[in-house]
Amino acid sequence: MKKKLRDFIFQELIFVANPEQFGDEDDLLEAGLDSMGIMRLIMFIEEQYGITLPDTEIEPDNVQTFNALEQWIVRHQKG
Amino acid sequence: MDCKASKGMSDNKQNIIEKLNIADSFTLAMDDEIRRDGLSGSLCGYALELDKTPDITILSQRIEEFSQQFPLATASLQQQGKHFYWCKRETTPQLFYQHHAPEDQSAQAFQKNTIDQLINHKQTRESTAPIEFHLLISPAKVTFFIRWIHPFCDARGADLILKYLCTADKQQRQLFGKPESKPLVNVQLDKYRWWQKIILLLKGKKYVASIDKLKSIQPYANEKAAQQHRHLIKRLSEAETSTIQQLARKHVGLTGTSLYYIGCLMRALEKMNPEHEGDAYCAPYAFNLRKQRAISPLTSNHVCALFAQAPREIVKDREQLFKHLKQQNMDVIRQKLDYAFLPLMWAGSWLSLQEYGKILRLSSSGQERSSFWFSDIGKLDLAKECFPGAEVSAIFHLCQVTSPPALAFLNCIFKGQLTLSYNFVDPLMTAEQIETLHALVVSELLEQSDSA
Repeated sequence: MKKKLRDFIFQELIFVANPEQFGDEDDLLEAGLDSMGIMRLIMFIEEQYGITLPDTEIEPDNVQTFNALEQWIVRHQKG
Repeated sequence: MDCKASKGMSDNKQNIIEKLNIADSFTLAMDDEIRRDGLSGSLCGYALELDKTPDITILSQRIEEFSQQFPLATASLQQQGKHFYWCKRETTPQLFYQHHAPEDQSAQAFQKNTIDQLINHKQTRESTAPIEFHLLISPAKVTFFIRWIHPFCDARGADLILKYLCTADKQQRQLFGKPESKPLVNVQLDKYRWWQKIILLLKGKKYVASIDKLKSIQPYANEKAAQQHRHLIKRLSEAETSTIQQLARKHVGLTGTSLYYIGCLMRALEKMNPEHEGDAYCAPYAFNLRKQRAISPLTSNHVCALFAQAPREIVKDREQLFKHLKQQNMDVIRQKLDYAFLPLMWAGSWLSLQEYGKILRLSSSGQERSSFWFSDIGKLDLAKECFPGAEVSAIFHLCQVTSPPALAFLNCIFKGQLTLSYNFVDPLMTAEQIETLHALVVSELLEQSDSA
């Protein structure tokens, strides 16, 4: 799951000189993930994983890192 | 002498550097509209207030190097057949100018007057330099002003040009031109098969038709003839900026920060002129196709357009307004309408500038579609002491605008301070009206309005 997220984010949304050195706990918002980028990411996740992420849950805690994103997705896959 | 004039023929292909991409053509149509309104065309500005006179030798060397690495910087915009191209000139235009304040003029007046002259300078499209760099020097104030014509680059591109000039290492500066690739608008458009492009085009047309159902409110007296662009810059404190950012997060969440500024301006305009006719406020804005933090592509435009529209009744209710703008923005992205303008821009690039400009500006009933223009440049992250020999203390942006709507609202955050740039067309609007508007905008941004 993280590989798909990493590929999408680094190919489409933010430029990072060395993506392989970007850790799962590194801050995506600090790295440049902006409001439009978050929307795109949510659309991508919903299409890829067949889930709906509620607007009310679009919070830094859920989108700030790859680990947080994964946990957010898994919660909705289970739910 | 330019390529068309020197050879006198439209098929002078050997002097072509680059064809305008479809987003460049979009901004060129606006340049034409602004010129038809009697103004100087789609000139934009990026002003940096410096703490002292910079190292002029280094600065001029980097500008020279920039013009060599990016030949578009010295090109001439020419029409050949139906399309427009950047062409080589026989004589390289001067790109770097120094202006010294006369002794009898205050630093503030000198800066404002010089910038007003530069942004209002009328020239033919062919002779206008794509970009110029001006250093305004007075004993109490030094300003570095970048002026460009919009088809040359978008605001993010101008930001990258500044970063280029601020990069001390030559090898690092070379990276701004790499990797060379097709314009991002073309890359995105190429992802679709022909039938998908048609579906997207139809979606785009439907989207615009839905926007056109409501007549846009024109906030100012449009019967007067446009004379010149004027600007008013307002900077908020760090504490105010922090409060505004928290309120934006509260009202529109992580996914729509810009919508907070748009909504507050709509409410301020409505409070200022509740009697103006129309059904809704409508603001076009662009989103950038570059990846965040990418340092290329530097030249050309890589944007696609969207609209924020709110009916008057909703504008009157602050809570409902932000809910509405946020939902509208999410719906647009969920329906992939954010890319729907790409095939429309491609189709538009085949039209004459006059036809294209009309389509872009006017609704199906012939009314101006925009209530105001808007751009949120966001947080600017220039490293301290990166400008050659001086520190940047403040930044603001400028742009020309068609009239109507005669108002463009640009904002950016630098060093924790929000800067609001009001660009307006005199005499359709006056500085006094803009001062009144600004007071209302700040009150809305800080949620101090009575109906909050």
